[in-house]
Amino acid sequence: MADLSVDLNGFKLKSPILSASGTFGYCDEFEDFINVSKLGSVVTKALSINPKKGNEGNRIFETNGGMINRIGLENIGIKEFINKKLPILKEKNIDFIVNLAGSNFEDYIEASKIANKNGIKAIEVNVSCPNVKEGCLEFGTNPKTLYELTSSIKDVYKGFLIIKLTPNVSDIESLAIAAQSAGADCISAINTLKGLGVKIEITEDKKIIKQTVSGGLSGRCIKPVALSMVKRIKEAIKIPVIGIGGISNRDDVLEFLSVGADAVEIGTENFTNPNITEKITNELIELIDKLNLKNLDELKRKLRE
Amino acid sequence: MKKNHQGIIKENIKIAKDTFKLTFDSNIKEVKAGQFVSILIPDKTLRRPFSVSDFVEDKISIIYKLKGDGTKYISSLKEGEKIDFIGPMGNSFNIENKKRALIVGAGVGIAPMLYLKKVLNKNNIENFLISGFKEEKEIIKGSDKYVIGGSVLDSIEGLIDEYKPDVIYSCGPYIVLKLLSHIAKEKGIETQVAMEKLMACSIGVCRGCVIELKRGNETLNASVCKDGPVFKGSEIVWQI
Ligand SMILES: Cc1cc2nc3c(=O)[nH]c(=O)nc-3n(C[C@H](O)[C@H](O)[C@H](O)COP(=O)(O)OP(=O)(O)OC[C@H]3O[C@@H](n4cnc5c(N)ncnc54)[C@H](O)[C@@H]3O)c2cc1C
Ligand SMILES: Cc1cc2nc3c(=O)[nH]c(=O)nc-3n(C[C@H](O)[C@H](O)[C@H](O)COP(=O)(O)O)c2cc1C
Repeated sequence: MADLSVDLNGFKLKSPILSASGTFGYCDEFEDFINVSKLGSVVTKALSINPKKGNEGNRIFETNGGMINRIGLENIGIKEFINKKLPILKEKNIDFIVNLAGSNFEDYIEASKIANKNGIKAIEVNVSCPNVKEGCLEFGTNPKTLYELTSSIKDVYKGFLIIKLTPNVSDIESLAIAAQSAGADCISAINTLKGLGVKIEITEDKKIIKQTVSGGLSGRCIKPVALSMVKRIKEAIKIPVIGIGGISNRDDVLEFLSVGADAVEIGTENFTNPNITEKITNELIELIDKLNLKNLDELKRKLRE
Repeated sequence: MKKNHQGIIKENIKIAKDTFKLTFDSNIKEVKAGQFVSILIPDKTLRRPFSVSDFVEDKISIIYKLKGDGTKYISSLKEGEKIDFIGPMGNSFNIENKKRALIVGAGVGIAPMLYLKKVLNKNNIENFLISGFKEEKEIIKGSDKYVIGGSVLDSIEGLIDEYKPDVIYSCGPYIVLKLLSHIAKEKGIETQVAMEKLMACSIGVCRGCVIELKRGNETLNASVCKDGPVFKGSEIVWQI
């Protein structure tokens, strides 16, 4: 059987197919659909220092080819994760990456310290969170802020450090470079795109009912944006890149690999097809065999020729 | 037991105005009253959730009302065609130690209540199903009493006093569930309500469909898809 393993600068994955943060929970739920231990890694829902209740009101809006969410980072908090969920993941031999969120520098550092102390092998830092001290601008929109955040985390966290970039910037290269210079081991991209869902309904008695949901756009419709960003990032930096955004089938994965992604994360499609990660994994193996190649690395080389 | 399945359509018939009943073969061995299935719609990101309205051997029925693209697609399905669905999802109505149940359905919210009634009958739990519909043409059959026009709640207080249930089960529009929960609370009767909320994953991972519950002095978020859809009316933090 074809070897799907990936070596991200020393951090080894058994497959390039990962689940994206926020779309896989802490993974137990997916055991009803797939064999989770076959995934390259599960990326947890963003964890913050303290549990978060998330946003009030409607959190979901369906769009053509995707969806908008404003969950507001509802999560159980990193301590609860370590006490309750970590033992399950370990017992089941599931590889995982912990996604971290914060609303100020101190939160990120504190959470990274906890991850370090508990031997978490890899963290993915979600820098799309609003920085409360600086007018709620996202941490990941300013290269200087991102550099400082990344290097402060690097000081306290000794595992594999992935910085997950937001696409809501004009110059993605400068942010990727900032993260790399500050010591990030890997970049993942993209997080959701800022979007506004508007629904207008005209009732039988001629009233107009309007609903709006402002949040992050994800799903199949964002793939071209994600491909473009991954390509630009890859050309700007040397560290590995994990491609994310709108992946729904095997060919989408090939497209990401061809523009330079070393691995990929699958998000929203898990909602549409909860067995998609396993299906794509199997199809990749079949493809490599069919092309008489030995492993994923050979396939990547072919795709990039 | 894995939860992703293919269903083969047995029947898809119109049963009332804009309302259809779909029955399909599944590989499922057990469905509890209150549980739902989520159906894949071609070219749509989100699956559409529907309560199970009947379950015979491995045949599942749902009753659905035409709303948008998803229900339009489902209504186009013919006998022998396949659907991709996940389920059974969610928790269920608790019928343990119940003796006398009043069941209240409003509109298409009656769907899970029909299956609940069947389960109660099987367990020899006395029950009475009252349902409300906007007009004659919308009636979905299977109730012990119908309220046409007006609200199913108009005569509910009298019915509760007369019937003396030890539990009230309900499904329907938010406002009906909210008012009914208040009425029952004042009379000291337990209510269990099946809630609806726009959901993305249907399996409890995305936190898209949460509602607020109050337990003791604590409030917490519960997902309608996994922790629900059935909740105690007295625990829900009802919004205006
Ligand atoms: C647990 C649960 C059980 C349900 N059981 C039934 C049932 O037995 N019979 C029935 O007719 N309907 C039921 N519904 C509502 C049903 O899911 C929606 O009417 C249906 O999804 C509409 O899809 P559409 O594409 O035709 O409409 P659209 O309005 O085009 O749908 C757009 C989006 O909104 C969502 N949506 C629309 N209305 C609702 C709603 N009321 N609740 C949740 N999501 C909604 C859709 O899933 C979709 O993502 C249930 C909902 C839930 C959450
Ligand atoms: C409901 C939902 C919740 C998400 N939560 C998080 C999160 O907690 N942390 C994070 O870094 N990204 C989060 N994301 C972003 C995804 O991980 C991913 O980057 C994005 O959705 C694009 O990929 P996709 O098109 O495959 O979904 C979330 C996305 C969705 C749809």
